Amino acid sequence: MIKIFWQKLALFRREEFLSARDLLQRAAVICGLFLIAHLAGLREFTSVLNGTMGSTAVGVTLGTFLAAVYILLYLAFVVLVPVLILAAMLLAAGQRCIREAESLLNSHDLKP
Amino acid sequence: MKTRMKRILAGLTALILATLIWLPCLHLLFTRPVSNFRQEQGLSPKARQLAARHLQLWTDPALREAELEKMRASNAEWDFMGRSYLVWSLANMALRDPASKALYVQTMDQIIDETLRLEKQEGMYFFLMPYAKERHYLVQPAHSLFLDSEIALMLAARRVVAEKPEYKSLLGERVNGMVERFQRDPRMLLESYPDECWMFDHCIALDAIKLADYLDGTDHSTLIRDWLAMARRKLVDRESGLLISSFTADGVPLDGPEGSSIWMVAHSLQLLDEDFARDQYQRARKELGEIMLGFGYAHEWPKSWQSQADVDSGPIIPGFNISAGSSGMAFVGAASFGDDQFLAPLAATLDFAGFPARSHGGLKYCASNQVGDAALLYAATLGPLWQKVKTGGKP
Repeated sequence: MIKIFWQKLALFRREEFLSARDLLQRAAVICGLFLIAHLAGLREFTSVLNGTMGSTAVGVTLGTFLAAVYILLYLAFVVLVPVLILAAMLLAAGQRCIREAESLLNSHDLKP
Repeated sequence: MKTRMKRILAGLTALILATLIWLPCLHLLFTRPVSNFRQEQGLSPKARQLAARHLQLWTDPALREAELEKMRASNAEWDFMGRSYLVWSLANMALRDPASKALYVQTMDQIIDETLRLEKQEGMYFFLMPYAKERHYLVQPAHSLFLDSEIALMLAARRVVAEKPEYKSLLGERVNGMVERFQRDPRMLLESYPDECWMFDHCIALDAIKLADYLDGTDHSTLIRDWLAMARRKLVDRESGLLISSFTADGVPLDGPEGSSIWMVAHSLQLLDEDFARDQYQRARKELGEIMLGFGYAHEWPKSWQSQADVDSGPIIPGFNISAGSSGMAFVGAASFGDDQFLAPLAATLDFAGFPARSHGGLKYCASNQVGDAALLYAATLGPLWQKVKTGGKP
């Protein structure tokens, strides 16, 4: 029942690889993961970049791991998400141009 | 199959095009006018926010304890340097913002008094890295120029802002001690660690002596001139023309030129020899400074001198050879020499990769630490203290 509910939501339906919707879905997933990491306070651990522990409550290894997770998600959010959105827009615009060109050709073909 | 391949090809082309469009624009999200970081008059918004966070640290002992514990776990020196940079910043802030002078002076006194108490109570090794105990200082009784120079400059900066009779004798003792040791050593090189001398510490020491001359009417201009002449002859890397960072008490180079040191050294030299300072800054800018896609950063070593990452350089980001230590200190250099074309991209990088966090009107950079943020605050506020001494107005 729950599965059917989610499947009905277009947002969660798996789209064709590298289609505009697929790119937008990937961007949304990155945004969600970054938001979780941010709200969990992982930003504090980025102090490993200067050799200081983010928190003395966790060990160096765990602290470094959490910092790496946050930094990768942040870079994905700032660099990759806009690229994915832009690419989706370019794809959508390209497809629209192709559709319009095709319909124009078809309308010319139909003329006597 | 053909349709699928076509779609993937179109998707990849779109991704490449989007990357080519986005990457050159990315810096626009983080680039602000230089005045946001540093202003000629008064305090910039960033300086106020950074200062607010530091003032919180000095009014909330628990917060300060937590911050210092993290830093001391890595490097006890940072605890000490964080204090120095904050006091020097507050001195400049008091000159920029006379309305808040009382608060700044009170905080300076609190930091200085606590630092002197800790030094007296725990001994000089409290603020040094553990290897200081592994060997004996060549010159006995042992003194660390690292501690003496920065404490002297803290005391002098406080006195330039407002005279405090108790600090006059304390400054006199430090300065006389350093001057005596400079005059006694034929090479004019003083240890910070056993048989290890640092350019940074020598320049800060000479700044403190210069400030003491300004405050107390003494004259050590010959000592300063002779030391600078010696440094030009013996402590400059031939390839880059940059001053080297560290050397033995005999003047044998240990480290070559380093970004984590040279930017502050150039700033420090501004008080002693403006032309030499500018020459060193311009060389550092050429050899170490980079701007890529609108983001500024700095290398730790010039191409002619490679070394291993250490506690001063911070981690080096491979490929681009970005040094956190050098990039942070580059703010001090760029701010000192009014190099806004470098300062703005550096500030963009700071907001992009420094992970700023704001709370209660204060700002800290999570990728930095208290000493890093204090150095940034110093870059955002420096100027009036040097200017006051250079123009020779009445103390």
